[in-house]
Amino acid sequence: MIELRGVSKAFGAAPAVVDLSLSIGRGAFFVLIGPSGCGKSTVLRMINAMIACDRGAIELRGEDIRAMDPVRLRRGIGYVIQSVGLFPHWTIEKNIGAVPRLLGWSRETLAARVEEIAALLQIDRELLRRYPHQLSGGQQQRAGVARALAADPDIVLMDEPFAALDPVSRASLQDEMRRLHAETGKTFVFVTHDMDEALRLATHIAVMKDGRLVQTAAPRDLLNRPEDEFVREFFGREAMGLRLLDFVAVRDRMRGRPRAPETIGADASLRDALALMIERRCSRLSVTDGGGGKISEIDIADIIKGQDAT
Amino acid sequence: MAAGVLFPKPHDQVLLALAGFGAAGILAGSFLNRAPNRLANGVATALWHAPPLEAGAAMAGLAALAALAFHPKDKPRSAMTFGAAMLILWGCLSGAGRLASLFALSDPSAARYSLGAAFWILMATALLALLDAAQRANLGLLARAGLIAALGAGFALTANSGAFADLSLAKEFASHRDIFFIELRRHIVLVASAVFFALAISAPLTALVLRRPSARGLVFSGLGILQTIPSIALFGLLMAPLTALSQQFPLLRAWGINGAGAAPAIIALTLYSLLPLTRGFFTGVSEVAADVKDAAAGMGFSARQTFLLVELPLAWPALVSGLRVVTIQAIGLAAVAALIGAGGLGAFVFQGIGQYALDLVLVGAIPIILQALAASFGFQMLLAARRGS
Repeated sequence: MIELRGVSKAFGAAPAVVDLSLSIGRGAFFVLIGPSGCGKSTVLRMINAMIACDRGAIELRGEDIRAMDPVRLRRGIGYVIQSVGLFPHWTIEKNIGAVPRLLGWSRETLAARVEEIAALLQIDRELLRRYPHQLSGGQQQRAGVARALAADPDIVLMDEPFAALDPVSRASLQDEMRRLHAETGKTFVFVTHDMDEALRLATHIAVMKDGRLVQTAAPRDLLNRPEDEFVREFFGREAMGLRLLDFVAVRDRMRGRPRAPETIGADASLRDALALMIERRCSRLSVTDGGGGKISEIDIADIIKGQDAT
Repeated sequence: MAAGVLFPKPHDQVLLALAGFGAAGILAGSFLNRAPNRLANGVATALWHAPPLEAGAAMAGLAALAALAFHPKDKPRSAMTFGAAMLILWGCLSGAGRLASLFALSDPSAARYSLGAAFWILMATALLALLDAAQRANLGLLARAGLIAALGAGFALTANSGAFADLSLAKEFASHRDIFFIELRRHIVLVASAVFFALAISAPLTALVLRRPSARGLVFSGLGILQTIPSIALFGLLMAPLTALSQQFPLLRAWGINGAGAAPAIIALTLYSLLPLTRGFFTGVSEVAADVKDAAAGMGFSARQTFLLVELPLAWPALVSGLRVVTIQAIGLAAVAALIGAGGLGAFVFQGIGQYALDLVLVGAIPIILQALAASFGFQMLLAARRGS
């Protein structure tokens, strides 16, 4: 879907991106992560031609972006930025309809689409008539995402979209993004410096440092086999093991008959199970299925052992 | 407690001070100056020599203002303040007119009656109180426009009935009546053309400094130097090259462009307008938040669409206030243009100074002030109209 081949970019004498090659498949939730100044935003902005690369080539849907009109290119790509950038003189409704209007959609189609996208992102209809400054930060970014999705682009670029939000709004928008990605099958390219956010959302994570790609992998592989000390450090050495527990379900480790009084669902993660054990001061939990019936048991030793094997 | 009753605390010190200012004006200054002819110094006449009805009305209005300062600030008080101010206005205007007419019955026809300090102080007091009342009543712009129109119409009707005919200001106006409207029109044409040309030059200049940061220093320091040239000097500086040009090219002369008159005046006024206008436009457009522009570009707005749909509407208030500043400045500066034969209301001012005829100066100065106020108000309406849409 998106191919970067040997892409380099320098701002003056300072290199921002160095000989970077990436392949982002259709339907991926691709997260670019790295410390600030590592060039991840530059990569994002090169994909929609906001920044031209000095060397290398970028292909979208098999077409070199240098051969495309940048304005038309951008209209086919959703774009969300950290500071939201809603137009302060337009209502939320008009903001959401911005790109479809540029594309010349009819009034009826546009109105129907705004309704649809607002419902999808759970934006209250009443909010549509308000102006951006009358909305909370979380609501504003919801509208920002709706605006990016309004013209139904197959690619959506997001540049640290939730970094400025409070934890509650951030978590709820992250859930929203997971659902949207699963439902729409769009290709997302998402820039963040928040490891938990990356692990939560990504199908693929690319770790960047000083304008270079350090490692690209699925989240679980990245935790299991970090490329080098930098990746290990960046993921938080101590927390890596705990983070890995997120990716394994209780179902995969349970065994034996249920005897313990405390229970946990079979689909919960090992991390949830461990947290519950610590909270309840026990080392075993009975596992329940969807109906609530106890089906098996999990022991703390089963959680700890054999992590690398999975 | 007893002290509280004897010296109640005023709710509005401003209004009280205003009333005090008016009272001091009545006591200290002359209401009407009575002179045997146009050049001689007059004899001061105080307000209480005016016909009792009018003098009483003015003083009662002033007393009411003072009393209202002790009334809580509410809606009825605004109405009462308005009423009191109107009493003062009417008392002063009609009082001065009728007092002059009374004097005129016995005086020789060369006698002149000019308005004195007490009159102006009372008028200022009343107008400030009016303004205060209008502000507190939170009148909408349309209501304010209606109020101003009503006041203006009332004044025009009274003036037309000859109530002020014996005042020297009215006499000066009457004897210059025909040329007054010609000069008024000239003044407006000078200002309008200068603002038009300034707009036509500032727009591309703003585009230039927005696109080429390297040109910014040169453009703004160049315009800044222009701004520091004193107006008379600039008018003078323009005369020589324009004279030479018009002698060189008969076509220019045919268009009425030469060293003196409207051409150098309009050029000078345009030059003075460039810096504030360009700077206002530049600041307005460049202060549109960067993230909003980034979002627009990233979503696929073309440069033109970003400008027309995002930057221009968001910079609109700054653009209008830039125009407002420039227009008001040009209205004032255009008065000086009379010195190089461009005409306009400044002609009366300089003629009046030359003849030591203060009333003639006022025939020019008052409409200049009114024009500036009208322009300011008009631009405010423009801003409000935009905000409402």
